[in-house]
Amino acid sequence: MKTIKLLVSAALIIAGFNANAQLTGEQIIEKTYNLPTGEDQSSTLKMTLTNKQGKQRLRVIKQFTKDFGEVEKKIMFFQSPADIKNTSFMNWSYNSDKNDDQWIYLPALKKIKRISSDSRSDYFMGSDFTYDDLGDRKLNADIHKLLRTETINGKDYYVVESISKDEDYMYSKTITWISKDTFIGIKKEFYDEDGDLLKILSINKTEEVSGFLIITNSEMKNIQKDHTTTISLSDIKINSGISPSKFTERMMTRGM
Amino acid sequence: MEKLLKKLLKIPWLILAITLILSAFFFIQMKKNSRMETNLDKYMPQDHPAFVFSDKAEDWFGINDGIIVAIENHNGIFNSETLDTLKQLTKHLQKMKEIEKADVTSLYTADNIIGNEDGMDVRAFYKSVPESARELETLKKNVENNDMIYGRLVSTDQEVTIIIAEIKDDVFTPEFYKKILELTDSYETEDIKIHVAGRPIVEGTMAMLGPSDMKKMVPIVLIVITLVLFFMLRSLKSTLLTMSVVFFSTLWAFGTMAISGIPIYAVSTMIPVMLIAIGVADGIHLYSHLQLFLRKNPGASKKEATSDMLGHMWKPVVMTSLTTAIGFISLLSSEVYPIKYFGIFTAFGVFMAMIFSLVFIPAGIMIFGLPKVKKQKKSSDNIEHNIAYNFAGKILKYKSASILISSLIIIISIVGMQKIWINSSFLDKFEKDSDIVLTDQFINQHFGGTTTLNLILDANGEKDTFKDPEVLQLIEKMQNNVENELPLVGNSFSLTDYLNRMNKVMNADKEEFNTIPDDKKMIAQYLLLYEMSGDPENLNKVVNYDYEKLNVTFQLKSDNSKALNSVLDIINSYEDDFNNLGISVKYAGSGYKGLVFTDLILEGQIMSLILSLIIVIILLSLMFKNLWIGLIGAIPIIITALISFGIMGFLNIPLNTTTALLSSIAIGIGIDYAVHFIEQYRNNAIKSNDKLLVAQQTMAHSGRAISYNAVVVIAGFLVLLFSVFPPNRELGALVSLNMFTSFIGTITIMLVLLNISNIFLKKSQEV
Repeated sequence: MKTIKLLVSAALIIAGFNANAQLTGEQIIEKTYNLPTGEDQSSTLKMTLTNKQGKQRLRVIKQFTKDFGEVEKKIMFFQSPADIKNTSFMNWSYNSDKNDDQWIYLPALKKIKRISSDSRSDYFMGSDFTYDDLGDRKLNADIHKLLRTETINGKDYYVVESISKDEDYMYSKTITWISKDTFIGIKKEFYDEDGDLLKILSINKTEEVSGFLIITNSEMKNIQKDHTTTISLSDIKINSGISPSKFTERMMTRGM
Repeated sequence: MEKLLKKLLKIPWLILAITLILSAFFFIQMKKNSRMETNLDKYMPQDHPAFVFSDKAEDWFGINDGIIVAIENHNGIFNSETLDTLKQLTKHLQKMKEIEKADVTSLYTADNIIGNEDGMDVRAFYKSVPESARELETLKKNVENNDMIYGRLVSTDQEVTIIIAEIKDDVFTPEFYKKILELTDSYETEDIKIHVAGRPIVEGTMAMLGPSDMKKMVPIVLIVITLVLFFMLRSLKSTLLTMSVVFFSTLWAFGTMAISGIPIYAVSTMIPVMLIAIGVADGIHLYSHLQLFLRKNPGASKKEATSDMLGHMWKPVVMTSLTTAIGFISLLSSEVYPIKYFGIFTAFGVFMAMIFSLVFIPAGIMIFGLPKVKKQKKSSDNIEHNIAYNFAGKILKYKSASILISSLIIIISIVGMQKIWINSSFLDKFEKDSDIVLTDQFINQHFGGTTTLNLILDANGEKDTFKDPEVLQLIEKMQNNVENELPLVGNSFSLTDYLNRMNKVMNADKEEFNTIPDDKKMIAQYLLLYEMSGDPENLNKVVNYDYEKLNVTFQLKSDNSKALNSVLDIINSYEDDFNNLGISVKYAGSGYKGLVFTDLILEGQIMSLILSLIIVIILLSLMFKNLWIGLIGAIPIIITALISFGIMGFLNIPLNTTTALLSSIAIGIGIDYAVHFIEQYRNNAIKSNDKLLVAQQTMAHSGRAISYNAVVVIAGFLVLLFSVFPPNRELGALVSLNMFTSFIGTITIMLVLLNISNIFLKKSQEV
């Protein structure tokens, strides 16, 4: 669940930098990867899942993130639906190879439990995003290649193909459209192991908050399953000085 | 009509040419456009409520049948070699074009969710194959402690583990099956045996095997019939012309089918069978008459002989064909489209056989000349004649014997019929020692079962109903009840199993928490936790988004109707309880559809049997302008049908789609015998008032032709006893039996009843 950092910044985010004329695919992705996200963030996250029958599930989560250098800590409180209100989830993600530490608090059980998991490609909370999609994928896990540049609605984009070094990876390749100005990815296609298009990620809206460009609305559509996840962020606060004590087991039980 | 037919005698070459050209056209159409329908779902009426609902439910929960690949090792499966085979095979199946990666389930793909004092741990059972004894031991412990795996993916004797690959209904082809078998064969070693089973394979093989067997057998049937026919008619020309009627009518029926874009269904392969049995009859009766005429008038020209034949025989040929065709058209009352098509095209073929018999056979005689009547056979003809006269005499002398025996047979048959049971099983259609049956038994011994029944509980839009502990506890009680009561139910699976597991895991894996929690919020929170840590796709297979529709899967070790119905009975006893909670009870899945489908076919068959019987009685009454004749003519048919069902009851042959369809043939053929016989009887009765002589003349004429007909067709169908597909064997035996009883019924009890009723005699006396 390193992920949640990328919930905040759904795929590949944030601005700065002037477009350099002759960047390699690798360099472009690196710039995207290294976009600054601030010291801490808090926001309200709305996740809407829509299945092929058109049924929807809506979840509202209040989330806090803080970068401690060696470790990034996150805490999430479920707001709705009512039957899971105040369920909370905490994740510590380390820069080293150490596995994430995760805790869950179920108010009905009144107990905090540690969760350990080894599944990296798993889908996040029944959504169409995997943890990797949400940003946990390491830069050097893929070989990146600049395919071409494209102009869409008067704006210029790099089109970069990324092929996994691990043959067994769930995607045979991904193709990302990255803004020449901001280095934000605005669209990404995911191809399954057979080379067929599996999912399309589209960034619908970005907003500037405290000088950072943040993706506030993104949509992941699974073409093969006809299933869609929309994530939108509101009440975003960056560098508001969240106390380190926010990220403790005691806070998990307190609710919002 | 008679005039028209005689006019046509002047243009035999034209008729021959037209027939051949049109036949060539139909042949080309058939070659070009015919296709076999092997997807069993296409056989079912798409607009029937049970199927409409099942299709919807299959869509909601992604219910698909699975191919089961079982890996067996007598030394146990917890060793590197077997686990590596499992891993490689799983990955290989995942990569096949026909299979979606996510639809492959095995110990290799499964998540192991375990609880401890601190919390929970979600891990793959293994990624790289464990090598050390310690790793293997840990894996073994993990499997043994996980109810959702042990007994489901790994057998409890630890010698077998399975991979389930779910496929869509239309994916299965013989090539795909072959590819899987080649794949699994390549992984077999001295220790490791691999078996492949599952509903898609049973269905696919069945839809393939019956028709392909029929394809092999029909030519042999034709050859045998041709030989016997030749022996009977003693004329090559007559034999070939009669057989070409069968050939052309079948060709035209399939050609028309191809032109109308209707695929060949498994039942359609019975059309040639029906047309062979029915089509030769017209030819035999025509030639039989012709021979008798030539015997009396040796010097007659071919024109005179053919004219006389048409003059005497066109009426019975038309009458028999119309009654037979209408018998088949009554199948339109069936709700099952393949059966409707079977009815229409068989009726069409019967109609064409009539046209060919009346137009093509005379044209053939005009062109190729009369069959030779061998003079030296005079003595044997006399013998035939004497036998017919003696037989008719004996039958009329001992009328009460015929009546008594017939009554006795009817009573015994009715007793036998009580024992008939309906079977929707597909597996029962295969040889008991065939690979497909043996593999199925093997997997049933080690796991829950290869047949699935899906119970769909529907709260009709009331959201979150299936988070309610009261509801879930009732479901669990029902699941346990079914599992405990019925040994043939291996296991059941639903949302309750996930909740039991989560509750146990979150309480440090203590067995006393292997229950449904009492708190609705707790249930909701466990489900959220499962979504976050397990594979949420799994939950979509048991409950829908709004938690108002739920899927309970029962696994059965048998797919026959008795087994399925015994499960339905127990579930239905909970229906009131569910209804009180606002939940309706419905079913889905291939097992259930098979059951409904069989019921539909049988219902339709019984309906059409009764319907065609009534129509035939009315038609006969109209044709002979006498209600009694209609009733008397129906007697051989009724006896034939009763004996057929009676014997099935006594021999424990269940009613299934093949055997039920056979009742049509009883009517189709039985009525032919009766009509020919009655028509001849009437003709003779007009000329004479001697009841005995009338009977004897009829016996020598129609009785002779009928016996030829019966012998030819019975001989042909007995060939099917050597078929490799059991339903085709049953078909051969029962058609032969039906022919025989119809034949005997016509020349005994029907003759007796004609004799007693005095019908035609009275009339002729009045005139």
